[in-house]
Amino acid sequence: MQTQLRQALNHLFTLSCGASVVLLVAALLLFLIPMLKKGAVAVLFRGTVEFRKMQAEQFDRGNEEALQKEIEQTAQSRQEIYAILDQFSRGIDTEKLTDEVKGLYRDYGDELRYKDTPKEQYTKLRSQAKIIRNHLLDAFESIDKTEINEYLDAVKVFEKGNSFSGTTVEKMFAVADGFQKTIQHVDLSRRGEYAEELSVVKEELYNLFGPRPEEKTPQLAMRRFGATRWDVAQKHLSFLLWQEKWVRSDDGQSMVSRKVRRDDPQYGSFSGTSLLPLFTLVEETLDISLKPRFTFYWQYFIDDSTPGHYFGGVGPEVLGTLMLTMLAMCFAVGPGVLSAAYLVEYAGDNLIVKIIRICINTLAGVPSIVYGLFGMAFFVTYVTRHPGILSAAMTLALLVLPVIIRASEEAIRAVPQTYREAAMGLGAGKFRSFITVTLPAAGPGILTGIILSLGRAAGETAPILFAGAAALAPIPDFGGKWWLQETRALSYGCYDITVGDKLAMMVPHKQFGMVMTLVMLVLCLNIVAIFVRSRMSKKLRGA
Amino acid sequence: MELTPIRKRAALQPGKIRLNSPPSAAAEETPCTQKTIIGARDFTFYYGSKAGVENITMDIEVGSVTAIIGPSGCGKSTFLRSINRMNDLIPQTRTEGLLSVGGQDVYDKSTNLVNLRQQVGMVFQRPNPFAKSIYDNITYGPKLQGIRSKAKLNALVEKCLKDAALWDEVKDDLHKSALALSGGQQQRICIARTLATKPRVVLMDEPCSALDPLATARIEDLIEELKGTYTIVIVTHNMQQAARVSKRTAFFCLGKLIEYGQTDKLFTNPQEKSTEDYITGRFG
Repeated sequence: MQTQLRQALNHLFTLSCGASVVLLVAALLLFLIPMLKKGAVAVLFRGTVEFRKMQAEQFDRGNEEALQKEIEQTAQSRQEIYAILDQFSRGIDTEKLTDEVKGLYRDYGDELRYKDTPKEQYTKLRSQAKIIRNHLLDAFESIDKTEINEYLDAVKVFEKGNSFSGTTVEKMFAVADGFQKTIQHVDLSRRGEYAEELSVVKEELYNLFGPRPEEKTPQLAMRRFGATRWDVAQKHLSFLLWQEKWVRSDDGQSMVSRKVRRDDPQYGSFSGTSLLPLFTLVEETLDISLKPRFTFYWQYFIDDSTPGHYFGGVGPEVLGTLMLTMLAMCFAVGPGVLSAAYLVEYAGDNLIVKIIRICINTLAGVPSIVYGLFGMAFFVTYVTRHPGILSAAMTLALLVLPVIIRASEEAIRAVPQTYREAAMGLGAGKFRSFITVTLPAAGPGILTGIILSLGRAAGETAPILFAGAAALAPIPDFGGKWWLQETRALSYGCYDITVGDKLAMMVPHKQFGMVMTLVMLVLCLNIVAIFVRSRMSKKLRGA
Repeated sequence: MELTPIRKRAALQPGKIRLNSPPSAAAEETPCTQKTIIGARDFTFYYGSKAGVENITMDIEVGSVTAIIGPSGCGKSTFLRSINRMNDLIPQTRTEGLLSVGGQDVYDKSTNLVNLRQQVGMVFQRPNPFAKSIYDNITYGPKLQGIRSKAKLNALVEKCLKDAALWDEVKDDLHKSALALSGGQQQRICIARTLATKPRVVLMDEPCSALDPLATARIEDLIEELKGTYTIVIVTHNMQQAARVSKRTAFFCLGKLIEYGQTDKLFTNPQEKSTEDYITGRFG
């Protein structure tokens, strides 16, 4: 019975060991795979013609000719959309029409003077034109369709009169015509509501297509291009098509807020207007207007990003993180290994050494924000006088020092006494035998400590928060005092882009991309270090 | 028994040590009239408060092979390791009495430890070559002595490997890792490494206990070749081995030196009862 119980326990033990490993791997995959999948979206996505435009302008990439051809191809479908939009706006945007008509009137006056019309005719024609103008302005102001039609009919009488053929006034007649057409389908009492919704529609179209061909190039790089990614375009499309409206609930008792399409015949804002076809047109021709194509944007890892992370990549962040990590390691490994050597080889067992050990072990558990504050209070204030790479690296070094000391101590202690005896038996002193025999033998263990610290140093945000990280810093200038300059970092960038509220909502792919880059960077660093360690181990075992 | 004062020696000629007078062939019968190189007078070694060895008084002849036998824990290794002060690695130890090598008190404050350890080499129980190449293992000692010239080092490596009877087996690839060799070969590397510093004495602490019989035989042949040129003190559990290789044998028991004499006499006609009991296997 005893044997059976023992056997059962053995099996149970083996099973639980296996189960915990499986659980660990599953948890890791569960954590990594979604992150990598979402992050991969930053690099592998369907990019639109706007993206290629942006690449050409900001980074000088891509084939100019092919791009031009593409732009021409998109122009046509976009033109249709703009035409519908413009036509409707004219009906709504009476201010513009007013200005236009006033301007036409002035132009007509100039034209008459230019033609050297005799004074009598000049006055007559001008006063007639003025009447036309006033009729039009009144029409624009009025909201009563019958009234407007009266005014416009009055204008039409003048048109039939043929005394203004071939002059600027013809343009006024065209305006009147267009206006009449437009207001057929427009509920003028809702002009205010139209204006508001129209501005939203215009904004979303801008977000989709960028500035119109005839517009001036905006200053802000962010506003120069439309939707660069197909998924972002889809998002803007939905903003374009859908709106939130208060409608009567199904039972008719109360008002509920519901999402309706803007061209919904019952509830949509633009129901019954000439703007209706716009929505279906945009929806159906979006792929022609944007020409999405599968893009492998590997330059994501190298490119700089326009301020605000709207376009571009995480190049400066990657560089910043690498620099900070490497520098932190340089500062930490030396003192760490030497301290460990002291603790093993030279320290006795007295009270002072015990206190030192307690301090080191406590430091390993200090929260990283405390390190950050200390870094700011000490390194930035007294050592470098200015937050920068150096102070941030020193703070990070302090953060990982306890781990390195602990791992190195274990490794050095684990070197068999026979190694030391052999070296000393040949006449090597304590220092000599340590450097030539003990340290190489403890190499793999020390490297383990370094591997653990690499990941920590690369991924910590709090220590560098005050000591040297900045969200929008430029790439450090290696010609000058680069160690006193602030830098971007992946970990800090992740934090910053998340609290950038509205912007973060528009570029979720950037957030995921940055996180994925950080994870992949740490993974790569670890793989390199593990490879080095295994080579070391092989040599020690004599393979 | 007199201890000869050490003479300042210039660079050794390979294979020779300079003595005050050449060893005489009639040494077998006369009790220790040969020049002694290691001498102990009432030497006691304490681990903390417990004595590892007590009141050891013995002399070891130059150029001879001396075996130290005895049951476990009787202080053989302690005494051996005291000779080149390897016991310094153990904390809280102290000594009383005199232990001298070549006339110089080993535990004197003015003794140069580096020099001592280069003159008194040690081969340990388990082969412990460094995790370096064969070449680097052997040149470790000479480099500490300051020999830098490639030619000298190469010649030294060849000589030591030949002396250790390993040259033919490894001459093709001296830069192979020493850990890639078999146990017996590794032990011979350790011996070669010890010989590279041109010591006068080679201490061997149970060198064959971790080796198979074939390798053991080779090591014993090696000891046979090395005697005369080097003084060898070998601690062994194996009485037959002591009988095979040594000229004089010392029997330790419970930290004390019980008997010390010519090997064949000790084994065939021991003076003390405990020696006889041990040799016949009644204990130990």
